[in-house]
Amino acid sequence: MVLQQFMIPNPLALIAEITHRCPLHCVYCSNPLEMAAVSEELSTEEWADVFQQSGKLGMLHAHFTGGEPLARADLTELIASARAAGLYTNLITSGIGLSETRLQALVDVGLDHIQVSFQDSREDAANWIAGAKAHAHKIELSRLIRRHKIAFTVNLVVHRQNIDHLEEIIAFIEQLAPERIEIAHTQYYGWALKNRGALLPTRAQLERATEAVTAAEKRLAGRIRVDFVVPDYYARFPKACMGGWGRRLMLINPAGKVLPCHAAEVIPGLAFENVREKTIEYIWRDSASFQRFRGEEWMPEPCRSCDQRTQDFGGCRCQALLLAGDAAATDPACSLAPAHYIVEAALAEVNSNAAVSQPVPASSIVQLQKLAESLWSYRTNPE
Amino acid sequence: MAHPEDSSHPRLAAGCRWGAENKPGSEERVVLFPEGAIKLQGTGRQVLERCDGQRTFAEIIAELQAQFGEADPAKIRADISQFLEQLRHKRIVDY
Repeated sequence: MVLQQFMIPNPLALIAEITHRCPLHCVYCSNPLEMAAVSEELSTEEWADVFQQSGKLGMLHAHFTGGEPLARADLTELIASARAAGLYTNLITSGIGLSETRLQALVDVGLDHIQVSFQDSREDAANWIAGAKAHAHKIELSRLIRRHKIAFTVNLVVHRQNIDHLEEIIAFIEQLAPERIEIAHTQYYGWALKNRGALLPTRAQLERATEAVTAAEKRLAGRIRVDFVVPDYYARFPKACMGGWGRRLMLINPAGKVLPCHAAEVIPGLAFENVREKTIEYIWRDSASFQRFRGEEWMPEPCRSCDQRTQDFGGCRCQALLLAGDAAATDPACSLAPAHYIVEAALAEVNSNAAVSQPVPASSIVQLQKLAESLWSYRTNPE
Repeated sequence: MAHPEDSSHPRLAAGCRWGAENKPGSEERVVLFPEGAIKLQGTGRQVLERCDGQRTFAEIIAELQAQFGEADPAKIRADISQFLEQLRHKRIVDY
């Protein structure tokens, strides 16, 4: 027991998924299809207690995400309590619901970093992907953010429908003057997996996009930092999902369930503890769910004898479950995985039918959802 | 502008700050930034603690050259310049 405690490093950061409510309906959303109900959400005091525990456990960052964190009326209090617990606070947001006064209040209580998502540089395409009229407000908000001395990141999720004009999008983001641009290929979980057929880029698209990112990195060096999240479907080895299961990160969902990653609830047979019943230190060190895929004991071949295992930790458990039907399998994104044929089949399909769609003009979200029905499903909202 | 100039005022970039001193008296301190943290001790810590937006690059160099009297002043300057340039690329330092 003592030895085990000694050997498990403390988590570095807390991902606080404070609500699953969201005014946007992005087709690439990685939230679970089964969302936590509003009535189950943790209270202001319960979150404050979680942040205190997190600070004491040695965590450094609290990433506020959702859903849309601004959908919680008590967000300012939540940020304040995380700061009071010694945590670096990062707000990951669409910006919808953020007025000038609310932003000022967040900065006043010590918000360190704001990360605003953009869907595209073109308004019609951006609103089409988000399933909401959000683009113009985000531009307005970016100007307000630049008046404050907090870190500003613009996040862009790329996929087949926007990847062909990535250079234009980067130039657009550059004008918003963030410190950092995060260009992330879509990760296929939740709604994104449901909509994968319309989102997965072709190999030719990916190659051009990678060149565009490399050129931007060079051009913007010293001014804007460019972080790039690679698409694991096209990689040789899987991503080191969450930096390894129960190794660096802890996620708490709106209802207080503690998860090793966003999608972990899809894994059958795993029971996740709740902060309403257990301390996060206990959950991190001793709970069955966090121990299940920690370390190398659980690994099958080819992971067990692979040199890459200390780099990618066998890839993503949720992806193994979602694609191969077995959470303990090697991530099918790995070129060495027995189930890699599943990823190859998805790639073969997308590369033989590389159609890019055009934004659908619609006056309301209901109409938009009807018009786009054959292409994809928009993310819905919790009860 | 790649390297800091003598008249530059190096400082932590927006949204970057020192973490709390969890272990008082410890050699090690942490600078927090979006998505990460760096642990600093020794010379690195001494350089960054002087990047307060008040001191110029020339003043920071002079203070550290005085402190490390026996080391080659040109090497101290080159090392610190490179250190700050790297941190600027990560958007942790501005100058």
